Amino acid sequence: MKIKSKVSIALMLVVSLVGFMLAVQYNSLNHQPAERDTRDIWAIRNEIAEQKQAQSELLKEIRDMDHTLYTYERAKSEDPEMALIETVDDLKKRAGFTSLTGPGIEIEIQPSPESIALGLPIETIPADLLTRFINDVNRMSGLIIEIDSKRYTILSAIRDINGVTTVNGLNVKNPPFTIKIVTETFEDSEKVYNYLLASPLHDDFYIDNLIIDIHEPSEQIELNGWTERVDMMYLQQLPKGDN
Amino acid sequence: MWLPLLGLLIGISLGLLSDLQIPSVYSNYLSIAVLAALDTLFGGIRAHLQQVYDDKIFISGFFFNIILAASLAFLGVHLGVDLYLAAVFAFGVRLFQNIAIIRRILLTKWSERAEEKKRGEIEESQDVEKL
Repeated sequence: MKIKSKVSIALMLVVSLVGFMLAVQYNSLNHQPAERDTRDIWAIRNEIAEQKQAQSELLKEIRDMDHTLYTYERAKSEDPEMALIETVDDLKKRAGFTSLTGPGIEIEIQPSPESIALGLPIETIPADLLTRFINDVNRMSGLIIEIDSKRYTILSAIRDINGVTTVNGLNVKNPPFTIKIVTETFEDSEKVYNYLLASPLHDDFYIDNLIIDIHEPSEQIELNGWTERVDMMYLQQLPKGDN
Repeated sequence: MWLPLLGLLIGISLGLLSDLQIPSVYSNYLSIAVLAALDTLFGGIRAHLQQVYDDKIFISGFFFNIILAASLAFLGVHLGVDLYLAAVFAFGVRLFQNIAIIRRILLTKWSERAEEKKRGEIEESQDVEKL
């Protein structure tokens, strides 16, 4: 009996130690520190600002949709043709078919003075540099862009064709040439102007022996419409009279 | 029988309630120590069932195995070889062997007991018939 109790006590001690170790292991595996949020107040404010901007953009979109809906509603009782023409006009404007005038800025891409002094040949702007510029500028919404008199729409492509940079399949002149940007309001133009003045794009352009000359914002910038037809590969016209 | 169970409960509750945590770097060592402890524990149970149990061997084996496993893991970390896998393998195999032996011993014990009971019943019925 004495031996048995001795066994049991030793066993109990060992088993309790095993249990303790198991529990500690369980504790350590299940209480991994949660990923800490190390953003400071300005980073969080930045995020809030971004979200707010997205929100206001969405609200604006909803308002536009509501307006279109309202136009249709009104047209139901009045003139359906007028509403359709209005919609088509609006769509054409958004797709970039119409010429327009508005507040904006002009940007001139020029060869850098150093390259002229050294007598380096002036080459066409690299396609990826132009794409980078457009992407950077396009971060601001509601911009309408024209590159060397070629309207840049959502269907436009900037490509390198046999060493020549093209927009919409048309060659871009060797520098100097102008890029025009039209914004919704004059304040937006000033914003784009200030943004571009301080942009690191200058350095990117300078590597390719180019400089960006940004003109002051003006109230009247004229843009050409897209002259080519848009090929719809996947959209088809419905036969008339079908519901 | 209930004393080891009580010990297990006490150990687990102590561990959970103390909310003790070890850094994840050392969790390898602890897991291998747990494995070594389990191995020793089942070895002890087997020895007890085979009636070759020795207190000193059991206790010394328990701590020695844990220390050996942890130091093997430590050495492995510093040599850049996963040496703790060797310990895991050795303890794992021994764990299975011990549990298999325990199972067999228990099974033979139960079958013997059942046979004895049966024999007893038969003898009883024979006694009744004699009466």
